[in-house]
Amino acid sequence: MQGTLDMLVLRTLILGPAHGHTIAQMIEQTSENALEVEQGSLYPALHRLEDRGWLSSEWGVSDNNRKAKFYRLTAKGRKELNAATGRWRRMTRAIDLILGPSTE
Amino acid sequence: MSMRRFLHRSRKDEDLAAEIESHLAHQQDANQAHGYDPEEARRQARVRFGNPRTTRERVWRYRSFPWIEDLRRDFVFALRALRKTPGVTFIAVLVIAVGIGVNTAVFTVIDAVLLKPLTYPNPQELVSLTNTGPRGSFSGASIPRFSLWRQQTSIFQKVAAIDFGGAGMNITGTDHPEQVQGIHVSADYFAMLGAPLVEGRTFTAEEDSPNGGHVTVLSYGLWKSRYGGSPNIVGSTIQLDGTPYLVIGVIGPGFVTETPADLWVPFQFDLNSKDNVFFFTAAARLKTGVTIPQANAQMRLVADEFRRLYGNDSLPPNGSFGVDSLQKEMIGDTGSRLFVLWGAVAFVLLIACANVANLLLARATARRREFATRAALGAGRMQIIRQLLVESLTMSLTGGALGLGLGFVGVRLLLRMNAGDIPRIGEDGARIALDPNILLFTLGVSLLTGIVFGLVPAISASRTNLATALNDNGSRSGMGIRSSKFRSVLVIVEMALTVVLVVGAALLIRTFMNLEAVDPGFALHNVLSMSMSVSGDRFQTTAPVAHVVQEGADRLHGVPGVVDAGVSNCLPMAGGFGMSFDVVGRPKGGADSSGGAGFCSISYGYFTTLKIPLLGGRAFTKGDNATAPNVVVINEAMAHHLWPGGDALRGRILIGAGAGPAFAEEPRQIIGIVGNTHDNGPNSDPSPMMYIPLAQMPDLETALNSKVAPLYWFVRSQGDPHTLTTSITTALREASGGLPVAHIRTMEEIEAVSIARQRLNMLLLSVFGFAGLLMAAIGVYGVMSYSVQQRTQELGVRMALGAQTSDLRNMVMRQGMVLTMIGVLIGAAGAFWLTHFLGSFLFGVKPLDPISFIATPLLLCIVALASVWAPAIRATRVDPMAALRVE
Repeated sequence: MQGTLDMLVLRTLILGPAHGHTIAQMIEQTSENALEVEQGSLYPALHRLEDRGWLSSEWGVSDNNRKAKFYRLTAKGRKELNAATGRWRRMTRAIDLILGPSTE
Repeated sequence: MSMRRFLHRSRKDEDLAAEIESHLAHQQDANQAHGYDPEEARRQARVRFGNPRTTRERVWRYRSFPWIEDLRRDFVFALRALRKTPGVTFIAVLVIAVGIGVNTAVFTVIDAVLLKPLTYPNPQELVSLTNTGPRGSFSGASIPRFSLWRQQTSIFQKVAAIDFGGAGMNITGTDHPEQVQGIHVSADYFAMLGAPLVEGRTFTAEEDSPNGGHVTVLSYGLWKSRYGGSPNIVGSTIQLDGTPYLVIGVIGPGFVTETPADLWVPFQFDLNSKDNVFFFTAAARLKTGVTIPQANAQMRLVADEFRRLYGNDSLPPNGSFGVDSLQKEMIGDTGSRLFVLWGAVAFVLLIACANVANLLLARATARRREFATRAALGAGRMQIIRQLLVESLTMSLTGGALGLGLGFVGVRLLLRMNAGDIPRIGEDGARIALDPNILLFTLGVSLLTGIVFGLVPAISASRTNLATALNDNGSRSGMGIRSSKFRSVLVIVEMALTVVLVVGAALLIRTFMNLEAVDPGFALHNVLSMSMSVSGDRFQTTAPVAHVVQEGADRLHGVPGVVDAGVSNCLPMAGGFGMSFDVVGRPKGGADSSGGAGFCSISYGYFTTLKIPLLGGRAFTKGDNATAPNVVVINEAMAHHLWPGGDALRGRILIGAGAGPAFAEEPRQIIGIVGNTHDNGPNSDPSPMMYIPLAQMPDLETALNSKVAPLYWFVRSQGDPHTLTTSITTALREASGGLPVAHIRTMEEIEAVSIARQRLNMLLLSVFGFAGLLMAAIGVYGVMSYSVQQRTQELGVRMALGAQTSDLRNMVMRQGMVLTMIGVLIGAAGAFWLTHFLGSFLFGVKPLDPISFIATPLLLCIVALASVWAPAIRATRVDPMAALRVE
């Protein structure tokens, strides 16, 4: 769904700065591997979010002692995350209401 | 949307590449931790990530305006493609350049004449004040009219009086007397037109009243040329016709009047005058917000008041007053003339488009394998169309840029050819300049042209059927059918447009020939004409004028080489004066007793100098002077109309009755009848004319005449009159006590000017017609050559099966001629309808002139025959063996 990946990326970064590989791994692990991040989409998304001013980035050194680009959530990004989370909750609730209680 | 994403694309791309590399390294580390060996770990990482280039492209595209990117690529590709076929490209660009060039040239003139407002501030407020009647409106004002009009402050800000054309004035008191264009105006004239002052001031109301003194305002041109731009000019005195005038101001160079003026002097009207003679024109500036219909309504009320004040005789019962937009009046019928020209030019451009489209279709056909390959590689139909459109636009814009240059050279040439009487373009078109309007127009035409001639080939090429095109070896019919249908249609269109153009040209050529063949009614050869201004205090009565004329004629007869000399107050073929008359002894107001006719006062040598034939009675002699009985000579048209029985010589007429006290005189005996002259130009019927001896003019009329028009001298010589110019002007100066002459021209030159407009029309349309013909010929040739080339194999088979070479030749020719015939028929039908618009430009030839309508199709068929001849012969040279082996 459009914007979902953006929201997940923002949510992941609330824990602190991270580089692309970590972000992908964290999303997959946190979702108990239910979500698989298409890595070809991750980087376009990161660049788009940075252009919108929701993320900032700088090059640094990772735990593996490798060069990596770290993304950090900006104040604007935090606001957007709140808004996006609110939108998401409202939508899933609406969908839940329509689907009704679990019949299984 | 943030613009940030479009910045620093290359640097960001490198950054992304490094980021992806970092990601792969981390994934590799993770994989190694799971126990893979480094190489396998690396491979797995890459598999997991997918193609890094795709990711980079996605980001790159996200950071770009896709269509600009595509356009740039298409443009680079177009340049490469166009360079591959330099011949076609060159011809196409050239054809477009010519097409756009003529359009730009004609538009430039239209822009200057019709679209640009007058050079005065708020020109839409300027109107000329007119007299209206059942036969339309005409300008002309008398003092009582002017006086009443200028009181209409509810509709006018300012009202001014201006000389009709100006009698000319002589700057005297120096060794080089000079005739200059001195124009009488009323005091409000300069303020009304917003004339910029560079020195001094303009007339005050006191200076513009009777006995207001002698003051003058100079034009910038005269100040510079005659007085060297002297800073002391204001306050100095110059001699005009022997009278000292105080120079009070100089008008700036930006002030261009439609009637050119060297200096201005005040009219100094006596506003209490009851004299209703028309001898000037009036113009006004409307109050802001007052519309022309509102002004007209008010002017109708003014007419009623005028009638109440000056009696019913002062204004005919169905006459009234009105206003006309000054700009509209100045342009006159030039507008329709330029639009006809533009129509013709648009046709040239359309033919050019059809021709280029044809070339491009052929080129697109030859490239169909290329398009098929690109389609196979994933190019969509829109992409191929876009690519081809970019190619055609590249060509049309290049052609447009060249055309702009051509147009500018063209317009100079066009005006150099003597444009005749196009208003508002200045001397030799000096006031025509490049401006944003023209640039915009040329750009627009170029874009439109590129799309028009590019679209058909592009759509046709994009329809390529992949399989057949790729399998086709390129020399057979292939996609030919549809595209060759297009091309045939284009040839038909070209032919049809050309027929219309050439018919138009033929009609105008016939018009011009007819005009040249018209006998003007007087001799043109070896006759020199010149003007002599007799303004000033010295010439307020008839006797001194007659004396100058007599002296001058006598002295000219003494000049070796001069055969005869005469004088008139009108210039033949340049319009003249009109006057009312009543036949004595018939009831007033009848069709055969009262009316208006041309009116010239002449010296007794006039008829013999211009060889106007005497048809009955006698001509004037020296004896017809002020003391002799009043006499008049009329022309054949007038005699025929009023005395159909042929007894005109017994008639007497009263001239100028009711025109005002200046014209009051005794009835005149008709003593002679002379041949008709075409005074209003050769394309209008001769009008009735009255000639009276110059020596018998009423004094007041002479005074008026001297104020509004110069005298014209006519001198017939044995050889080329130009060689006598110096001795003639010297003789006249001596005879007249120092009066200079100006506007020295032969009558042949004057006649050339009177038909210059038709000459220009004819020349232009001939050039356009020829250009169209040439392009249509190229079109037919191209289509037939191509068709022969495409059908090489078929022709070979036919030949192998025993077809005669003459059969093949005739087959090709028949095809070409069928296209031509269809085009010619359509074109003839179109011309049939369109030439009606030419009606008012023609003379002695009907819009449906059979000769033009027969000759043009014949000409086109001959040209088409010549164009298909070469391809047809080529068809017969096909070697059957070679043709079959092509496979």
